[in-house]
Amino acid sequence: MTGFADFWAGRDLWREPMLAGILAAALLSYLGVFIVLKRMVFVSAALSEISGVGVAAAFYVGSFVGIDPHAHNPIPLWLDPTWFSLLFACGFATLVSLRPGHRKLQPETIIGLAYVISSALVLAILNSPRIAQEAHAVGDILFGNAVTVPRAQIYALLAAGVAALTVHALFFKELLYVSYDPETATVQGVGTVRWEILLNLAAAIVISVATRAVGALPVFAFTVLPAAAALMLTERLRGTIALSVGFGVVAASVGYYLSWIFAQPTGATMVVVASVFLLPGLLRIWRRRDV
Amino acid sequence: MDLIRLESAVIGYRAPLLPPLDLVVRAGATLGVLGPNGAGKTALLKSLLGLLPLLGGKRVLPQGRTPRVGYVPQRDRLDQSWPLTVLDVVMMGRTFLLGPLHWAKKQDVQACKEALDEIGIGDLAMRPIHALSGGQHQKVLVARALAAAPELLVLDEPTSAMDPAAERTFMELVQRLKGAHNLSVVLVSHQLTAVAGFATDVALVDRGHELFEVGPASEMIQPDRLGRLYGRTVSVAEVGGQRAVVIGGPPPGSNGSAP
Repeated sequence: MTGFADFWAGRDLWREPMLAGILAAALLSYLGVFIVLKRMVFVSAALSEISGVGVAAAFYVGSFVGIDPHAHNPIPLWLDPTWFSLLFACGFATLVSLRPGHRKLQPETIIGLAYVISSALVLAILNSPRIAQEAHAVGDILFGNAVTVPRAQIYALLAAGVAALTVHALFFKELLYVSYDPETATVQGVGTVRWEILLNLAAAIVISVATRAVGALPVFAFTVLPAAAALMLTERLRGTIALSVGFGVVAASVGYYLSWIFAQPTGATMVVVASVFLLPGLLRIWRRRDV
Repeated sequence: MDLIRLESAVIGYRAPLLPPLDLVVRAGATLGVLGPNGAGKTALLKSLLGLLPLLGGKRVLPQGRTPRVGYVPQRDRLDQSWPLTVLDVVMMGRTFLLGPLHWAKKQDVQACKEALDEIGIGDLAMRPIHALSGGQHQKVLVARALAAAPELLVLDEPTSAMDPAAERTFMELVQRLKGAHNLSVVLVSHQLTAVAGFATDVALVDRGHELFEVGPASEMIQPDRLGRLYGRTVSVAEVGGQRAVVIGGPPPGSNGSAP
């Protein structure tokens, strides 16, 4: 069989993971435009790790009440890793929205601290004696693998996407104003903090759910690369958003296909394909210094 | 009619910056706020606008609501990394007027285009903001403030990056807009001549000397008062029908250091 025929023949295997990848890429590429323009790309990375702490914490707590991550027994709702993950991510998103900081502890330092501490916490929890035997399985559940995605996670991704896009559709002008010029928005009576919280919560929910579906690396990449590539090519916000989402969707689908054909890691291949979209913009900047 | 009154107000972030003060923003007036760097001008402005809670005293809104504010921040350029047109930025000024869950309608777009026309940059509406000059950026900020249909126009050191001619042109524009829209204006500035030429009331602020004085511009723009404020000799003269303020050396008998 040819490469494509072989790929097509296996569609029952890749249909759901690819759908999850495309969905995650579309949502993150849209949110990424705000994330990149607000200069908070590492918030996305920190959110992935922090939602990972939530998942790991759920398993850790679950180990005390005899929950086995391998087993297909229903997990009590209060111990569902999804809720833990969302809770941790939303908590951090709210904290970031309040712009914590001090002259000796700038917001980016706090984000860096959150990233590194949560990364270490995940490792520490996964390697704790209570769940060490299931560490590999938990690791997949924690950060996804983009190869096998349960249908429930696609539904979760859809729900998160609908929630985030609804928030953006209803309050786009407020979110745009407080993102672009929070100082003036505040003076003119547009309550900055609540809109910042809403904006960051929308991103946190999508990032948290997407991290579990496709993995931390593609999530970080899809929030940064398509938006950065689109910003270099367009001068209008709508055009940037459309192009970013287009880049994300193409990167996810082509990346998945190439990873199948060449037997490469799926998440990493998607990221490599997404990074190719930076080239036209870089070329444009190189040729036209005034862009 | 007063728009905002501060009564025995104690302003500051944690500790008081200035002695308890009374300050009124009158409808149709231009209040200039003068003071050296770090004098507490921004804290005063924030307190006036209700963004910084008072540590004591009260803020009175005689109309029963906060007046609609058009704000021109202390900035020589807009953030150019955003893929926005001039009209996109000016439309932001309508956000508060429209309120949540209401989308901009044709009349909102029209109002913003009229604001741009009034400032004299109507032809730039669809231009990307990164393609503007510094002076054009400042005009876009004024157009955005106007798009908010303000009762009170607040200018925070708007001409700090301008040359004298551009500053003069800008202040004339503000004066024209003030008359055309029946605006009240609060102007925070380091440009003494700009304040002397346009303000009807002036507040002198210096936290270092716990100084706060406010009154009609003719009384406040005086060599002795400004001299105390800046710790320098100050001359005020009428030049070509305009008041000009010149800061000189340290006052005789001083050790030469600024306060």
